[in-house]
Formats: sequence, C-alpha cells, structure tokens
Amino acid sequence: MRNFNFLKAGLGFYTALFITFLYAPFVVMGILSFQAGPEGGPQFPIIEWSTYWYQHVLGIAPPSRVAPLPIAEALTRSLTLAFATMVVSTVLGTLTAQAFRRHFKGSGFVFYLVVLGMMVPGVLLGLGMALVADQVGIARTWWGTAFVLHVVYTYPFAFLVMLAIFNRFDSSVEEAAWALGVPPGRTFRKITFPLIFPGVLSAMLFAFTLSYDEFPRTLFTGGSEVTMPIAIYGTFAVEIHPNLFAFGVLTTVFSFALLSVYGLLMAASVRRAKTKGIGVQEDIE
Amino acid sequence: MTDTDLELVRLRKIYPGGTVAVEAFDLEVKRGEFISFVGPSGCGKTTTLRMIAGLESITSGDLIIRGKNFTHVPTERRPTATIFQNYAIFPHMTVRQNIEFGLHVRNLSASEIKKRTDAIIDKLQLGDVVDAREGALSGGQKQRLSLARGLVTEPDILLLDEPLGALDANLRKSIQEELKILQRELNITFVFVTHAQSEALSMGDRVVVMNAGRVEQVSSPFELYTRPQSGFVARFIGRNKIIPGELADIDGNRASVTTPLGRFSGVPSFKAGSGTVGQKAMVVAPSEYIDIVPAAEPAGDAALDRARGTVTSVEPVGQVVYIGVELPGLVPMRIEAYRERIEGRGIVPGSAVELRWKPERATIVLGEA
Repeated sequence: MRNFNFLKAGLGFYTALFITFLYAPFVVMGILSFQAGPEGGPQFPIIEWSTYWYQHVLGIAPPSRVAPLPIAEALTRSLTLAFATMVVSTVLGTLTAQAFRRHFKGSGFVFYLVVLGMMVPGVLLGLGMALVADQVGIARTWWGTAFVLHVVYTYPFAFLVMLAIFNRFDSSVEEAAWALGVPPGRTFRKITFPLIFPGVLSAMLFAFTLSYDEFPRTLFTGGSEVTMPIAIYGTFAVEIHPNLFAFGVLTTVFSFALLSVYGLLMAASVRRAKTKGIGVQEDIE
Repeated sequence: MTDTDLELVRLRKIYPGGTVAVEAFDLEVKRGEFISFVGPSGCGKTTTLRMIAGLESITSGDLIIRGKNFTHVPTERRPTATIFQNYAIFPHMTVRQNIEFGLHVRNLSASEIKKRTDAIIDKLQLGDVVDAREGALSGGQKQRLSLARGLVTEPDILLLDEPLGALDANLRKSIQEELKILQRELNITFVFVTHAQSEALSMGDRVVVMNAGRVEQVSSPFELYTRPQSGFVARFIGRNKIIPGELADIDGNRASVTTPLGRFSGVPSFKAGSGTVGQKAMVVAPSEYIDIVPAAEPAGDAALDRARGTVTSVEPVGQVVYIGVELPGLVPMRIEAYRERIEGRGIVPGSAVELRWKPERATIVLGEA
C-alpha cells in the first residue's frame, strides 16, 4: 500500500513536470507579449503593461524603428499551403489506407515507401529537392516544389491515422450494404465515409498543422516568396521584439479555436452514431 | 426444374495460400425450402454462404439462381439478401433509414418506398423504434431490423449466417419460431448457416452437414438423425452409439459388422456394391433406441442385437439416468435411460448389463469410427 502511494506521488510529480515544460514557455511568452512598446524588449521585468505589440502585429501601431512583421502575405501563403496540403494528403492517405485493407502483393514494400516520407530528415529532403529542381530547371516556389514536399511529409501521417481507423472498422456493414444491392461507390459514400469521418478529421488536423509550421523542407524549396515560419525566422536574424510573442499568442489562440471546432465536430459525430436520432431526421438520399 | 431456386454445381473455394475451403459442393434447393448448413467451425459452411452472397469469389463451379448463372456477378446484382451474425446495422442511421437504404437504389417512387418500409416495420414489430439508432436497440430488435432490412428488398433467397448466435437462449428459441413462421408466410428460400445441430434440425426442411470443406450428408432432419451416412455425421449429429468393426456381410437392405462384441446387423447407409467384405465399418444406433437391462433378464425377442457390459457409474439427472457402461474391447459408453425404466432393476455400479436394440434401427456406416 505504501509503495503504491509512493508510485502515485512519483507519477503525479512527473505529470506536473511534463505540463510545466509544455506550458511554461507559452505562459512566459504570453506575459512578455504585454510588454510596453516600442522601447520594451523581450525580457523581464515588464516595464509597463500594454497591448502595443498586438497593435504592432496588426499594423495599427504608430510607426517606429521596429519593422512590422512580414505576416500579411506570408500568413496567407502558409494557410493556403496548409489547406491544399491537408486536402491532398487526406484524400491520398484515405485512399491508400483503403487499399491496404486487403493484402496485396508488395504491400509491405509500399507501406515502407509511403512511411519513408516522414522518416527522411527534412533538411536532406529539402536540399535534395532544391538540387533536383535546379538541375531540371524548375523554379522553386511555395506552391510548387514546397507543396510537393509538404504532401510527401504529411501524407504518411494521414495514411497511418486512416490505417488505424480502418483497422477497427467492422467491414460487415459494407458487406451488408452490397448485399442489399447498393453498389460499392454509393456504399463508400453513404456507409463507409460517414463512419470513418472522425478519423478523416484527425488526418486533416495532422496534415494541416504539420504543413502550417513546416520549416526545413520549405526553407530550401520555398523560393523567395516565404511562408510564415520562414518569415518569422528571418526576423530573428536582426533582433527579437515582443511583437513575435504577440503573434505567437494570436496563432496559439487561433489553433485552440481550430482544435475546439475539431472537438465539437468529433463529439457531434460520435453522438450522432450513438444516440437516438429522434427529431433529427437527416436526409440520407 | 422451374421450381429450383438455387443450384450449386461442383462449387469450390480455394484460398490463395492453397487451402481448400469448400470442395465440389453440389446442391439443389427448391423454391420456398428452408435449408440448413451445419458443421463445426472451419468446415466451409459460412464460406459457401458467402459464395452464394457474392462476398467470396468462387474458384470453380457454378452458382445458379432461378436458372440464371450468377457465378461471377457482383454481390449488389444478386437476388439475395444476407443476414449477418453481428447484424451489421448501419450505426449512423435510424431503423427506418436502415430499412430504406436498400430501396433507394431500386427504381421506386417515394410513396412505394414508404409503403414497403411501413409494411415490413409492421410485420416485424419495429413500430416503436423506427427513429432509434443501433445503440438504443435490444438484441432481438437488432435481429428483427436486420431481417426487415433484407426482406424489404424482396430477395429470391435469404441467406442467414448464424443469425441467432449472439442472442441469449430464451430469445433464440422464440426467434427460431418467428423465423420459421416468417419463412412459411413469405415462401422465400432460406439458407441458414449454424454450428448448432439443434437449430439445424429444428428449422431446416433439409440439412446439409459439412466437415473439412466437404458435404457429408444432405437429408431431412429425421433421416439425418436416424440414418447417418458417415462416421462424422454419426458422431456430430444426435446421440448415437457407435461400435466399430469390419464389414462381414451385405445382403440387399441388410448388412452386418463383426465387432469385438459380436456380429451386429443394420441397414446399410451405402449403396449396394460400394462396400467390400472385410473393410472397416461401424454399427450406429441412436441412444434413444438402445435399451439397457440386467444381463440375467431373459430376452423376450430373439431378433434383438445384444451387447454385454459392466456398469461403471449411475448418474441421475432429473427424469433421465446416465449409465456408464464398460464393454470389452471398446471405449466406455454412456447410455441414457428413463429413471422409471431403471429403478429397482439392480442396475448399479459393478452389475452386469446388456444393451439391446432392434437391428432395423441400427445403421451400418463404412469407414473408421
């Protein structure tokens, strides 16, 4: 009994430590983002509480010696890229996982081939891609070469998520649909897809977030029109100001908002599957 | 031939690894017949059902439904409906949506769909739960929903894959009866797969016994029970007592076997000419036809076959008494007898007894026991 309590305390301490390391940087960043500006720097103590750096990020602060973050265009690029990557990777990942539900010749080899995309170090892949692109005369752009590498990188994640989903999927419902005379295409749309939808959401989330803050591959292949992570890195080289922290807080809040939407969608689809649907007669046409 | 619904012609299934799942299955099923497939797990009964449904490819042979060859037609274009052991209810749809699902792909008007759905909901008493989803349904309701969903498409043949396996014993009994009544009313051919011989025997007009991918026997339940055609069927179906020996004599409708207990005769299960004297054979008699009496008791009827042994145990269970009997040269047997036929007759452990039966009740089966 005593030993057990000891173990419990140990695990509790470990958990506390874990949470501290997870959130402490964010808390510090959050506090420092309210530093006075433009004279206040990225360190304690807080000279005076203000929202100056938030105004600076949003471009509504009076001009000063601190250059504004080049976010407007970079952010649009990053979001566009992340969205496109998400769509392509999730579709590819789902289709590949669907193919893997039956064993086929060489499936083991294909599996490792796909998963290689997330194993190969990003710097190597980025550099290699840049060299190849230069050799064959393809311009390096965020929507071309970088996009391809983003898909190569995130597609395995989407694939693995979907593989796990299909692993637990009871295929007798599909067989039941075919046996009722429903062709495979319609069966996929009306039966399979609604049931794997929570998994598809997870795959989308993975692909989006991984692409959104991807750095090494984009650095080498993104060309001169930079994405958000590269743009932020670029400003480090000069000097760090709390406007970065303000931006960090804003993106984190945005991410949490996105996660909440995901959580709500997930909960809704689980509830729909479980409970009675009285009054929610949706169309299955 | 017009009233033949289903025809299997040397149907075979070999898995890519080379495993033979079903070997040369021949069967003809009449329209409106209730046919049961029974056998131990892995015997190929479910594989056969899945080949008929189109969920498993057919390696060779032909599948003919109402005169048309469906061997290579995909599942969704076969005139069959399948009931799965786990019901396979679509969890994201209500009961009504589940039932309508198969109708939407048929060229039916909305009013026709509603009419058919309402009729089947009514027939299978699902009116109280039309808007419920799977999570809110009981086992029996799920069972009825899966039946409704299949039957509403008006299949020529309904395929049932161990549909009662997941139900508790009481429910199973009542659904067995419901199924049988439903089948008679609709006059649709039912192919019913089960591992439980009691289900197969009580529900089927005919029963197919399978073992290791082969069909052992296709008979009416009564014939299966009283006239097994192979050692496997003799052991798997009913409560047969088996005495192994060698075929001694065949004479038309009567054959005899030499056993360690003497020479016994019975009705041969094999065709005249297919057995040779001296080959391994066995005497099979249903337990119900065997009398156990004290050895000293005089035989009233000289025509009875008799085997002498020693009682090793007496175990009463309600109305029935299980008596362990040791017979020289054989593994010990357990004989059931009604309590009132035993009591006061001196059948106790250690006493000498005789087993007696009418030779015409026994069956002579070829092969090793």
